[in-house]
Amino acid sequence: MSKNEQATDAQLPEAKHHIDFRNLVVRYGFIAVTVFFFVFFYATIPAFRLSTTMLSMLKFTSVVAIAGLGVTITMVVGGLDLSVGSIAGMSVTVAAMTMVIYGQQGSVAIVAVLIAGALIGAFNAFLIVILKIPDLLATLATMFLVQGLKLIPVEGQSVSSGLILRDGSVAPGKFTEGFLQINRGTIGAVSYPVIIFAVLTLATWFFLSRTKWGRIMYAIGSNPEAARLAGARVGRYKALAYMISGVFAAIAGLILSSRIGQGDISAGSSLLLDAVAVALVGTSVLGANKPNALGTALGAILIGILLTGTTMMNFPFYWQDVVKGLVLLVALILSYTLSDKKQRHVEAVPT
Amino acid sequence: MTSLQGASKKKGVALLAILLAFALLAASCSQDSDTTEDTTATTVAADTGTAEETTAPAPAPFNGTEPVKIAVVQNSGAGDYFQQWTNGAKQQADALGIEYTWYDAQADNAKQATDMETAIGTGVAGIVVDHGQTDTMCPLINDALEAGIFVVIYDIAIQECAPGAVQTQQSDASLADLTLGQMYEDIGGDENVGYVNILGIAPLDRRHVVWEEYTAESPWAQQFFVGEFTNSVATDNAQLVDAALKANPDIRAIFAPYDELTKGTVSAINDNGLSETVWAYGIDISNADIEVMTAEGSPWKATATTDPNAIGAAVMRTMILELAGQQVDRLVDFPGVLVTQDFLVSNEIKNMVDLRAAMPELNLSAVQSADWIPSIEF
Repeated sequence: MSKNEQATDAQLPEAKHHIDFRNLVVRYGFIAVTVFFFVFFYATIPAFRLSTTMLSMLKFTSVVAIAGLGVTITMVVGGLDLSVGSIAGMSVTVAAMTMVIYGQQGSVAIVAVLIAGALIGAFNAFLIVILKIPDLLATLATMFLVQGLKLIPVEGQSVSSGLILRDGSVAPGKFTEGFLQINRGTIGAVSYPVIIFAVLTLATWFFLSRTKWGRIMYAIGSNPEAARLAGARVGRYKALAYMISGVFAAIAGLILSSRIGQGDISAGSSLLLDAVAVALVGTSVLGANKPNALGTALGAILIGILLTGTTMMNFPFYWQDVVKGLVLLVALILSYTLSDKKQRHVEAVPT
Repeated sequence: MTSLQGASKKKGVALLAILLAFALLAASCSQDSDTTEDTTATTVAADTGTAEETTAPAPAPFNGTEPVKIAVVQNSGAGDYFQQWTNGAKQQADALGIEYTWYDAQADNAKQATDMETAIGTGVAGIVVDHGQTDTMCPLINDALEAGIFVVIYDIAIQECAPGAVQTQQSDASLADLTLGQMYEDIGGDENVGYVNILGIAPLDRRHVVWEEYTAESPWAQQFFVGEFTNSVATDNAQLVDAALKANPDIRAIFAPYDELTKGTVSAINDNGLSETVWAYGIDISNADIEVMTAEGSPWKATATTDPNAIGAAVMRTMILELAGQQVDRLVDFPGVLVTQDFLVSNEIKNMVDLRAAMPELNLSAVQSADWIPSIEF
């Protein structure tokens, strides 16, 4: 097969008259797995059929998915952000400090959290773009730094209403009703986190697939040198990717803190692996074989379906990690073993 | 052609791999009931309870043909204590044919909140909430109550914010009181004493309150107060107690109200060769603790404890009573029992099984029970 033919095949699979089974598996295998499990649980578990179950599943998924979308963007530029879990955890503490210790309004807490997320993202970008530290290592260092630094002002304590401060006085504030609405509020039956999740998924999809900047990001991920030679400002795009990732992780953290209702210092600790897993799973959806927003969202939803279903079937908790591992494995087989596309990033470099 | 054949071979292998993965996934589903039973079986092998005979017919809703459905929303089911607690609660639910969904948030507070929402959404008759943060769970507990779901919680302070739910807890005050009473009996009043505790952890704070009462009322003179929470509590606190003992060798007893702290205290006392003159008093017990307490010349004289299996079953009985409309109190305390070194040695108790046999009051089977409830005895 020449390169030209391959390209045509990829674009027009329906033009082929015989059915290519492997191609079908690569393109629709993941969707098929999702549908299979959905139908299976739907048929066997009465409680699974309730719309409230679906909505709370989506609500639980939203945090992982939003952090995963940030990771997806950093994967698009050829990196990986390992600090998303710490940033989300830091956001919980920042929100709690702003409202409980400084007695500020929820809106102030939201702004503080988003700024903090963007700043950590900018710090990642500084390490990667200016100091030339490889992405994985730089964000690993940031992960530890943020995890530890957030504990210093609160002296390792979870911040909750009624906290006794160092000078013996009682913390003046509490989580405001408005802030708690981030998690509890609904439009119709659909809760805010699910709406935020949907909006950010569509926005990320639009940005990555429908704008010039998104395409340049894919080009950078595919071949940064070629992108640079073609005139792309690689450093700026990478910096942008990490800042978006930081802000997305902060948004995930806002939902988490609103859900927990106190400055839980352990919040977000399980988020990193889940977020990276859904972003990786996302690469295989629809045979895209590259990080993409819709894939990440669907990957998060599949894992949500599986966790809800297995919990309702009273699987012991340790099965949850087995389930996640198997989903990731299937996704990796779809993208690495079965797929035609040898390169992870296949977009043409703009010339 | 060769390369193409190679490629199709690879395809075959890959397809095989993916089929295998699907098969694994499918297998993990079809074996669902087996898996659950297996795990219960292994846990049960350790602590199988026997259900008592009932002398009265069960009232509604336990007299219908449909099984009563409840959910248990657990902050964490991992670790020795919670494994036993869960074991006891499940056996008690099974004894009445209750159908349950067990949510385990794996110590993730946000996950516990969504688990609670899911549980409320499924329209169960009752929800047991085991541990968690007051700020996180309170609004959701109220949501459940508003939806007409009965809620029983274990070891979260919710009385003020959710007065409609039943709060259960093991009585830390009674545990501390039992062991301190024994300490007072053993050493008398006019003595120098040491104290090892970690503040900021709810049950340890409740034990601290009792210690303050004792030291305020008796002429005990507290010479030191140390303690820190680390990943290896026993070892790290042994160092602290060691330093404190070197500075204050003239003390008569140390109160360390958590068995990891007590173990650290005991090893520091032994290292300083003071086991004849300095005695240790603790809270909680395990197989390992029994070994330490009954060792030749051990300074650990007494401890107060509960059986987590029995507590789990008693919490479930509270849910059962609440569902039947027979639970009046909104606060239920499970009492502890005192275990002395003398008792362990003279009854030749080597482990928890021996202890349960020698101390039937650990069972709690008469607590939160009724003549129609088959209480589980361990």
